Amino acid sequence: MLPPFELSQPQTLPEALRALAEDGGQPLAGGTNLFPDLRSGREKGDQFVSLALVEGLRYIKHTEQRITLGSGTTMSDIVHDPKMETAAPALAAAAKIFAGTMVRTAATIGGNVCCGSPSADTVPPLLTLAADVTLSSASGERTVPLDEFYTDYKKTVMKPDELLTSVSWAPPAPGSAHLFYKLARRKGDAITVTGVSVMIAADAGKCTTARVALGSVAPTVFRAHEAEDLLVGQALTPDLIEQAAKAAAHQCSPIDDIRATADYRLQTAHALTRRLITQAWKQVA
Amino acid sequence: MNQVDTSPNAIANVNLRQVGKNKPRNDAPTKVYGKAIYAGDFYLEDMLFAKVLHSDRACANIKSVDTSAAKALAGVHSVLTADDLPATNAVMTDMPGQVGGGTKNTKQPILAKECVRFHGEPIALVAAESYELAQQALELIVVDYEETEGVYDAFEAQEPGSPIVYGDDNIVAAYKIRKGDIEKGFAEADYILENTFSSQYQEQAFLEPEAAVAWLDEHDILNIRSSTQVVEHFRAVADALGLPHNRVHLQAPYVGGGFGGKEVMTIEVWLALLAMDTKRPVKLIQTRENSFISHGPRHPFTFTHKTGVTKDGKITAMKIKATSDAGAYAKLSPYILLYATVGATGPYRVDNLWIDSTSAATNNLPTCAYRGFGTMQANTACEAQMEELAKLIGMDSLELRRKNFIQTGDPNTTGQIIRSSVWSDQCATKALEALGDRPENADHLVYGHGLACYQQSYGRIRWMKDTSESWVGLEMDGTLIVRCAVTDIGAGQMSALAQIAGEVLGVPMGEVTVYFGDGHVNPLAGTSTASRALYMTGKATELAAVNVRDNLLECMAEYFGVSAGELDLGDSKVFVLDNPERCMSTKEMAKHCAAQGVHRHSLEIYRAPPSEGLDPETGQGEVFPDFTYGAHAAKVSVDIDTGEVTVIKSVGAHDVGQSINLRAVEGQIEGSALMGQGFALSEELILEKGVLKNGSFSEYLIPTSEDVPEIESIVLESRSGLGPFGSKGIGEPVFAPVAASIVNAVADAIGTRIHDLPLTPEKVLAAVNAKQTQEAAE
Ligand SMILES: Cc1cc2nc3c(=O)[nH]c(=O)nc-3n(C[C@H](O)[C@H](O)[C@H](O)COP(=O)(O)OP(=O)(O)OC[C@H]3O[C@@H](n4cnc5c(N)ncnc54)[C@H](O)[C@@H]3O)c2cc1C
Repeated sequence: MLPPFELSQPQTLPEALRALAEDGGQPLAGGTNLFPDLRSGREKGDQFVSLALVEGLRYIKHTEQRITLGSGTTMSDIVHDPKMETAAPALAAAAKIFAGTMVRTAATIGGNVCCGSPSADTVPPLLTLAADVTLSSASGERTVPLDEFYTDYKKTVMKPDELLTSVSWAPPAPGSAHLFYKLARRKGDAITVTGVSVMIAADAGKCTTARVALGSVAPTVFRAHEAEDLLVGQALTPDLIEQAAKAAAHQCSPIDDIRATADYRLQTAHALTRRLITQAWKQVA
Repeated sequence: MNQVDTSPNAIANVNLRQVGKNKPRNDAPTKVYGKAIYAGDFYLEDMLFAKVLHSDRACANIKSVDTSAAKALAGVHSVLTADDLPATNAVMTDMPGQVGGGTKNTKQPILAKECVRFHGEPIALVAAESYELAQQALELIVVDYEETEGVYDAFEAQEPGSPIVYGDDNIVAAYKIRKGDIEKGFAEADYILENTFSSQYQEQAFLEPEAAVAWLDEHDILNIRSSTQVVEHFRAVADALGLPHNRVHLQAPYVGGGFGGKEVMTIEVWLALLAMDTKRPVKLIQTRENSFISHGPRHPFTFTHKTGVTKDGKITAMKIKATSDAGAYAKLSPYILLYATVGATGPYRVDNLWIDSTSAATNNLPTCAYRGFGTMQANTACEAQMEELAKLIGMDSLELRRKNFIQTGDPNTTGQIIRSSVWSDQCATKALEALGDRPENADHLVYGHGLACYQQSYGRIRWMKDTSESWVGLEMDGTLIVRCAVTDIGAGQMSALAQIAGEVLGVPMGEVTVYFGDGHVNPLAGTSTASRALYMTGKATELAAVNVRDNLLECMAEYFGVSAGELDLGDSKVFVLDNPERCMSTKEMAKHCAAQGVHRHSLEIYRAPPSEGLDPETGQGEVFPDFTYGAHAAKVSVDIDTGEVTVIKSVGAHDVGQSINLRAVEGQIEGSALMGQGFALSEELILEKGVLKNGSFSEYLIPTSEDVPEIESIVLESRSGLGPFGSKGIGEPVFAPVAASIVNAVADAIGTRIHDLPLTPEKVLAAVNAKQTQEAAE
């Protein structure tokens, strides 16, 4: 059963930030993580600040320089934005296979990023977009690269009085490939066993951008920088791709859980990284 | 699809107006509009809310239970433990229904007293002004446990020195079949193949968890409205409480799914006790987490098959060992084991046969009825073995099956002669055809086709002497009423009766009112289990409707000056067959017949064919009324990098005897396609030393809407069944071959077989890797 809790429902961002700073509540967005966690006892909080009525958090803005999502943007907002197919193909793909219809209409991008789960599906695509997150508090605002946001399992650099207000990134280079693969135990409403996203761009037969991010294979989603470094500036051969995939797998530190063993995660992280880089290279070359 | 049928049961062509057609069900509008009332939807004045304290460990002594703080909490009206119960503290969990029970040692404590034997065993009951208060009270109950050594494996439980959970030796049931000459059979074989197959726990995962309300009415009769498959549980409730049977009234409104999980008693006795104690209405809806541990899941089974076969594909001998994990209490395990024993040979004729089967008690979750009832697990193993045999002798697997299919007139496993049609071959051929071509393997994807056939009984074990009653009456205004206490568990049980009575009496089914689910105002119909509801209650309804029809036509024959045989009822009219202009509306007919004092109602009983049980030494005898046959085929792809399996197409082809409502038949085939897919690929309760680790829908993985493949239903009608209009039971049968077909498709795709279910991506990948390593070594 859901334990009792107190809920404040601010209407504006300053009110919400004040509530966080003064009452010490925890943000409640779509509740699709929080409520199951409260019910099961994994989450103990009893003070929540609802973001549902806060104006100006749910928007998608496309400009030539930047794409910005308000933190209240839901997965179905992303699915139904036709521009997302080019603005962030892998994010669009992740949103489409995220949970199921019911959860997609409630789950927010802010909640997905902030929950800090290694299996959060929008995070690998956002990492390969080199996205930034904007954090606001009653005392100001700061922007942090998503790559520096996570510090450990379910831990982030965000302070208790801060709210994530937006996520943004520069549009992918024309002709680049941005891919995501979610390996899970079933097709709908499944927690990711291994998640991989890659962004590859090329010019004159050489790889100019290589970003690889892996989910569910370490305490946090992470960028496989060693693998990326092997690829940039090179023409990608099967051998090189295999080396990069190996390097990515090398950076993984998965665990055994009820869904899969660490060993299986490692094998599939390796195979999927290889597959996605290969596919991406085919697209761009 | 009608084909000429020559089986002795087949009934001649009849002109059906509604039966067999694709009709909206009578229960559809109320459900679609959200008006249907389920057990958990009832509210009564002064109602209290209940919670149950379930054991959180699997094997422990209870040193003490301290309820004082819970009792002291304001708003808490009752806290009951074993000490507060009648001294017997037992509820019957044997086969329920018309036949009573008590033939096996299947009593279970209502609340645990000295020890708990499984995770989830109930220890205390609370009734309070709200669920929240009841929950608070639960948290104030202090149970002092002393953990003891348990046993968590059905094979270990049979070893000498194992902790004892049940009886003297943990053996809950055992059967043997000895038929023909097993040694001679193996001597005649060109090949002998031995394999072991095992399968897992599966959860019923009905949409509606256990829910009920109990109250004492103004006559001090104990009323219970419950989500159950069996209103006849009123007897077991009464026995448990020491009340006369006629003082307990159990009714079932619409049920949101049962699949066997609401076949034995679930929460009814608990609510009865709380209502008696508080003298107030008490309600309980189990949380999903508690539902997982409140009814018995499907038995894990291990089958070892040793089969002899000639190079021409004739099976000469089968030696089979079957073992199931009964968990901490017997419940229906003995019967489920019997079904598995009879079903161990699949739909094949085996003349030299040796089977030993055992169900052993452990400290795992007590397992119980689940669609397929042991036959399904047995069939899954047998159909895997058939594929392996075909591979071994280099024969197409359908060809191998054809050479061994049981036929009408053949004896089955227990020597029972099959009387109805057996269209295994037609069904298998059509199912495989419908799969179409096999796609070319590409990149990391390999494709496979799989087939499975089956033989599954419908109707209950014959020595239970099952009966069903139904009442049909024509009102003065020509409208029709059926009264039959069948429980409607979502498969269209109620609607089918409207269609059957309407067919016989010429009234559109949508205009028939059926009173169902309440055995105290309607004749008792028996359980909605064992694929018997349509067969038994449909037959009783057909018989009653025919009686009414005979009475009406006798009177109308006089009116028209013809013989009764020259009249027919249809389209809300009575008419002369040769000259349909000569007719009268059903409304006028009802009035006319009423004025003549014609008996326009009938109460009928249908009795299943009885038998006297099996010879204990040979296992020979008549077990079931009849069987359904058919096939399922699946097309899958396997990702060889990850082991992920995708079912692309799933085809069920079944001889249903006669479909009553074609749409409902398709619904059963489609639902079972997914249930079987879950069993084959993703569903598995994970227990660690008896404690359930994944009792939630985020970790127990039933297929979702995103996992639904293309599903095709092929319905064949031999009209050779024992049910109304020659129908056969289909609820369980259409499910029986699904998992096997998917498992076989995966084996076909990856070229190697995994012997333990489910086929998780991890197991599939390991099998793919092992095969590659092996091939590299060769
Ligand atoms: C059935 C089901 C299926 C699911 N499937 C998937 C899936 O496929 N992929 C996946 O990644 N996840 C999945 N999830 C998990 C969940 O839906 C997502 O993580 C979702 O994005 C969380 O968003 P929310 O808005 O519901 O967050 P909430 O539950 O409201 O919050 C999550 C956490 O983030 C914090 N938070 C929320 N918004 C902010 C903010 N703006 N600033 C600071 N902190 C904030 C909250 O305090 C809380 O700690 C599933 C959940 C369910 C119940």
